[in-house]
Amino acid sequence: MTKAQPSPLVEVKDFSMKFGKTTVIDSLNFEIMKGETFGLLGSNGSGKTTTIRALLGIYKPTEGKLYIENKAYTVDSDVTLGYLPEERGLYRNESVLDVMIYFGTLKRMRPNEAKEWSLNYLKRVGLFDKANVKIDKLSGGQQQKVQLGVTIMNHPKLLILDEPTKGFDPVNRRLLMDIIEERQADGATVVLVTHHMEEVEKLCDRLILLKDGSAAAYGTVEQVRAAHNNKSLDDIFVDVYGHHALQGGEQHV
Amino acid sequence: MFNIGTVIGFEIKRTLKKKSFWIGALSVPALLIGVVFIIWLSNKSASETSDQFKNERYSLVVLDESERVNPALLSQFGAQTVENKQKGIDQVESGTTDAFFYYPNDVAENPVEAYAKDTGMFENSKYQAVAEMLLEESVAATVNPADREVLRGNVAYETTTYRDGEEYNPLLHMIAPGIFLVLFYFLIAMFGSQMLTSTTEEKENRVIEMLLTTIEAKSLIVGKIIALILLAFIQALVVILPILVLYLLFKDQLNFSLPVELSAIPIDGERMALGALIFIGSYGLFTGLLVAIGAAVPTAKEANGFLGVVFMLLFAPLYAVSLIISSPDSLAVQILSYFPLTAPIPLLLRNAAGTLPLSEGLVAAAILAVCAVIAMWVAIRLFRYGAIEYSNRLSFKTLFK
Repeated sequence: MTKAQPSPLVEVKDFSMKFGKTTVIDSLNFEIMKGETFGLLGSNGSGKTTTIRALLGIYKPTEGKLYIENKAYTVDSDVTLGYLPEERGLYRNESVLDVMIYFGTLKRMRPNEAKEWSLNYLKRVGLFDKANVKIDKLSGGQQQKVQLGVTIMNHPKLLILDEPTKGFDPVNRRLLMDIIEERQADGATVVLVTHHMEEVEKLCDRLILLKDGSAAAYGTVEQVRAAHNNKSLDDIFVDVYGHHALQGGEQHV
Repeated sequence: MFNIGTVIGFEIKRTLKKKSFWIGALSVPALLIGVVFIIWLSNKSASETSDQFKNERYSLVVLDESERVNPALLSQFGAQTVENKQKGIDQVESGTTDAFFYYPNDVAENPVEAYAKDTGMFENSKYQAVAEMLLEESVAATVNPADREVLRGNVAYETTTYRDGEEYNPLLHMIAPGIFLVLFYFLIAMFGSQMLTSTTEEKENRVIEMLLTTIEAKSLIVGKIIALILLAFIQALVVILPILVLYLLFKDQLNFSLPVELSAIPIDGERMALGALIFIGSYGLFTGLLVAIGAAVPTAKEANGFLGVVFMLLFAPLYAVSLIISSPDSLAVQILSYFPLTAPIPLLLRNAAGTLPLSEGLVAAAILAVCAVIAMWVAIRLFRYGAIEYSNRLSFKTLFK
């Protein structure tokens, strides 16, 4: 596991987000250091996805600043980003290779480079023979592999995975873990947005636990556990949210 | 505006791979060729049948009270004469003769009557063909050839009109600026639906978030619009090229020539420039509007529901074409010309017809341009902030938050 570096890659300062009269995030502050694996935790509706969308410029924050490498993220930023959103999908009527090359080129790879990388990746995940098959002809698991490939194809230095294992079968979950470990080894900063504590405990250096748009816990895994009588992250999560959160009864934001 | 080229390439490539694009594109020339072939075949057949009927021989009796039918022609045809009308009819009824023609005293007032044995719906026309030929040839022989052509309406007329002291043909002057009207109609009719659904696919396929972190919404929308324009030109080429090739290959056999020489088409710089401005404003406005609708609704199916409303507003002025051309200053035409959603067709039509003053055209084009910018802004904003509302229709209020 990569040790957290002192200089922050991501800075979130006094970030608030309102939708109409509803406050989803309220004066949130945290930092993500270069090279660390960071867990953004919370139950459904706690504001995790909203925070990521605001960080990536998809949402405009009501207040505060969200910086990646000292400035608000735009598609012209120098940072190479890999983002696996919670809502997933690809162009269903296009071939696997065409879609991968398209996204690779959008991510500033040369078309030939994107093609070569894609074919190597497809070979690695056992989909080489599906390169020219339309996405909608693939099984759900195969589509997930393609989606992961699209996410990491530009060797991202910042990899943001929103609910990464959501809907993944065990094979793809293993593939995802391998990819995260490879990215970590490559010195990338990884952000895991999740409510699966076992993943966080295994992979993350530091974490923030959101509740109702505010930080309920923030620090290294050890610091957070120490602050809660050395309970497991699962137990801390239950303490913060109560048992009903584990049943997924809250609304998504 | 980085990556626009990538979007254009991707959009064009994926559209060209769709069967529906080629079916849509090739069906137009195929349909045209089919229609032309059927008309040619039908005309050829009708002409041959008419000649055949004229020359067809059958037993015939005639009563000519008009005294206009040449007896020599009748005997050449082998026709007999009868003394009265009833006798001729009786001969046909009894089957002793195939046909009886009765030419009344005043053929201008009363019809020529033919009584004949039934030979089927189509072949029965041979009787009228011969009755007509006998009378026409007989009368034509009594006048000189020039008078004959006048009476047959075979005289060509040419009118030369002048405007500001110079020769001016209004119809000829309509052709060049009229291209903008045809182009606009073609683009919207062929690609309206595609514009409307161009962003719903990303929404339905949940690729919006990945896209928005790699490309600006503005670049994506502009890239898609440019791709649609290029596709329209490709489709136009697919329509025009086969027709052009066929025309060049078979123009002698078809005995067809263009009604006007291309080099004789006048190009009025002012009207062309104004037409281009109106076209750009109109196309921008409707593209922005259709893309905005697409970005505001969750599915292509729902988006298509709005297409009829937009088309109704846009194409309704076509029902008032004669009013637009004949009374360009009427209140109704002025309203249609200045209301952005109905303006494109009246403006482009009036510009082609030369009834749109420059000052009025510039004001209307400016209104269209402003509305186009607003529509584009709305479209990009809706796409930018509304596209991740995957299952919900976006409210208008969201635009201004």
